[in-house]
Amino acid sequence: MNILNPVALLAGLLAIPIILLYLLRLQRREQSVSSTMLWQQVILDREANTLWQKLRRNLLLLLQLLTLAALVLALIRPYINMPSTLSGRLMVLLDGSASMLATDSPPSRFEDARSAVGKLIDELGPNNEMSIILVDGSPHAIASATTNKSDLHAALDHAQPSPSPSNWNAAIALASASSGGTGADGASTTVVVSDGANAEDLQQLAGNVRFLPIGVNGDNLAISNLSIRKTTRGLAAFIRVTNLGSQDDKVLVSVRSDHTLLDARTLNIPAGQSENWTINGIDPQISWVRGSIDEAGHNTLLIDDVAYVVNGISNIRHVLLLSPGNRFLEQALAVLPNLQVTRAITPSAQPDGKPYDLYVLDGVSMTLPVRANAMVIGNQSFFTTSGTFSNTAFARSEQHPVLDSVDWRSINASEVRRVNAPAWLKPLVESTSGPVLFAGEMPGESAPLGRVVLLPFALRSSDLPLQVAFPILIANSVDWLAPPQGLNIAASIKPGEVVALPRNTIVTLPDGNRVAVDQRGFAQTDQSGVYHASYKELNTPFAVGFSSPAESQITPHPDLQIGGSTPSSEVVPQSSQREIWGWLAVVALLLLITEWWIYQRGVPALQRKKF
Amino acid sequence: MLVESILRSLNGLRFVPQRRRPGVTTGERRSPRRGRSLEFADYRDYTPGDDPRRVDWNVYARLERPYIKLYEDEEDLTVHVLLDSSPSMQWREENEQASPKWNCAAQLAMAMCYIALTSGDRLVIETSTKARFGPKRGATAISSFIEFIEREALPAEVADGRVPANRVTQVTHLNSWWKRYALDAKPGLCVIISDFLDPEGYVEGLNALGAGRLDVNILHTLSTAELDPEFSGDLRLRDIETAAAQDISLDDALITQYRRRLNQFTTELADFCRRRGGKYHLINTSESAEKIILRDLRKEGWII
Repeated sequence: MNILNPVALLAGLLAIPIILLYLLRLQRREQSVSSTMLWQQVILDREANTLWQKLRRNLLLLLQLLTLAALVLALIRPYINMPSTLSGRLMVLLDGSASMLATDSPPSRFEDARSAVGKLIDELGPNNEMSIILVDGSPHAIASATTNKSDLHAALDHAQPSPSPSNWNAAIALASASSGGTGADGASTTVVVSDGANAEDLQQLAGNVRFLPIGVNGDNLAISNLSIRKTTRGLAAFIRVTNLGSQDDKVLVSVRSDHTLLDARTLNIPAGQSENWTINGIDPQISWVRGSIDEAGHNTLLIDDVAYVVNGISNIRHVLLLSPGNRFLEQALAVLPNLQVTRAITPSAQPDGKPYDLYVLDGVSMTLPVRANAMVIGNQSFFTTSGTFSNTAFARSEQHPVLDSVDWRSINASEVRRVNAPAWLKPLVESTSGPVLFAGEMPGESAPLGRVVLLPFALRSSDLPLQVAFPILIANSVDWLAPPQGLNIAASIKPGEVVALPRNTIVTLPDGNRVAVDQRGFAQTDQSGVYHASYKELNTPFAVGFSSPAESQITPHPDLQIGGSTPSSEVVPQSSQREIWGWLAVVALLLLITEWWIYQRGVPALQRKKF
Repeated sequence: MLVESILRSLNGLRFVPQRRRPGVTTGERRSPRRGRSLEFADYRDYTPGDDPRRVDWNVYARLERPYIKLYEDEEDLTVHVLLDSSPSMQWREENEQASPKWNCAAQLAMAMCYIALTSGDRLVIETSTKARFGPKRGATAISSFIEFIEREALPAEVADGRVPANRVTQVTHLNSWWKRYALDAKPGLCVIISDFLDPEGYVEGLNALGAGRLDVNILHTLSTAELDPEFSGDLRLRDIETAAAQDISLDDALITQYRRRLNQFTTELADFCRRRGGKYHLINTSESAEKIILRDLRKEGWII
């Protein structure tokens, strides 16, 4: 043991005034007795009045001196050299993804990882900072550059894994941004605590990198696919069960729809293989299907044993894109949910002969069927034109769903056709030279024949595709031209994913609770199961389920590729100074409390009468 | 003081003297002298001058030698009660209303007197302040005895040590008291009620009483605080008789040493007393006087 502040030893001289004060302070309590004869004889036997006897007798003085000794020892800041694996600034990437829920090392891999990080915190030197980033679907720092071990332990205790795939790239970007410089002693170390699932070939990290592997084995069975499709005999459910472990297994799989058991089957699945199973003749009116692994021999990750799919076929809208090729337009349509886009150069019909829900004509004309909705861009033959104009400075715009959140003021086009629009085709945006956007509903005898959105200029001759307004305009136009049957929700939602829903939508969770959606969308998608979103008269179910082949592959990785190299998992013995003044201060406090207690209550060993 | 019911239970009790002592007047105790009682004692040769009426003529007829017939004499027994009324005997705690030690000693003294008076013995009681009561005979003297005891009580501030006793009263040492008393004491039974806590000792005084043909019996009265002190810490012990101070730091070892010393003190006193044919009884003054008298002293043969 060494000391950091030897000058504080001088404080030990305070013992001298304490003893002197004690000797001066010593006042005997007076007690009358019938006779001192016997006491004098006793004292003659043992010279009780010596100075040493006075000092030895007084427990309070002894406690005061011990308190002083403990305080002096604390002031000189003694420390002991502890073997440490860490020094400098420390960044811990704690894997909190779904694979860490595996129970191959009970109670779970995450608890193992928590314990490992806890040991790192305990080994942390007094001047070493530590940050902890919880790596799940949306990595975030749970402790930032602190030397306070209590805070670190508290943050670690509150960390919980989430049933979502890990986003290592975001985590490494966050770690790089956080680590910025080097630590006080010039060293920076990143420790990755993970089972290595879904963490292959990570980006380079600054400073020293260490990898603490978690996990014992990779025995896992997962429902790797569950889907339903419409057939002539109703619905057909397709389920694929994959044995991701290293041992052959017998699995009991069941399929339910709307809480009713459809079928159950025992599947023998060799190691590393998958088994497919199709169930036909399902009632097309069901709203959802659930597949689950009910029994398995070697299965350590349960979150991927259940999958849900909703019967959302009716919400798919079919779009025919007639275009010579426009990447902006194709991309804008591709990202829209529940949209099945067929791109063609020449007009065609759906394979089953039905008309499309929406026709997007990008400079290509065709004969539209009756009651067709169309978005017409650029050159067209439906309406007559009378020349062009190029001054497209924004003049005014109408209130219309197509223009919701669209800022048209900075959009320009080099050549706009002047369209002789019929009365039902209203100009939505007008420039100083003429209208640049039309929308309207073609009237029919009994009902409208269809809706039209007209952009009278070619996208190539405009900066519209480069503007933020473009994908919004396309999305608004698609929703107005071919409104979805229910709420427009993606068919597959991962746990933790935010679902865009209209404000005040009521969502019924799988556990029966109901939640109203605020402006930020619906984010309480932590439970796996079927959710029901209700907005006005629309009622749309959607399924939240864990489906991540990478996270289901839970075989622990003893090594990890980070920036093309393999960080060591070996402990490099180092030395750190651990100060023990805190313990000494606690001892001093306890001694002080004891001294006070004895002063108040008397010496326990001598519980006689006091005067 | 003793309640009347206890006093009544003492009726019929009498002291058991160790040996016959000549009395003062005719009484109910056998005297070492030959006397005029009806109980035959011995014969002796006739010597000129003897009363011819005391010659046993039947014996003369058989032996043709004159013998005088001797009879037992019955005289009274003088009971001396020496009550130590020194401040140490009357010590009490400051918060106590009365001294338990003095109460016990006074009750014992009263009981001794009552037994002596009701059994026809001659009673003399003297305290260490030289106050004397007696000689008396008969139970009627009891009431005046109570007043005598009460007069011996010290003021409260002296008994609890607030005022040194030597400022109020002259402290008498045991030896000088008993030596003086032995000078004019009639032979008889002597009961000493004292704590014997006198730095000058007790040996000379007891020897003087023995030499005065007194059968010395000791009731050694010590309080609980003296037998098992409960003091602790750094103390200045103040002797209430002499006002002498004694600084002391009490711990377990010192308490043990005190107990050992006290045991030695009482053992020496008991041995001294018994070697001279007397009786010794150590009394914890927290015990009831009734229990001491009716059980302990009867069991040890002090009274029957």
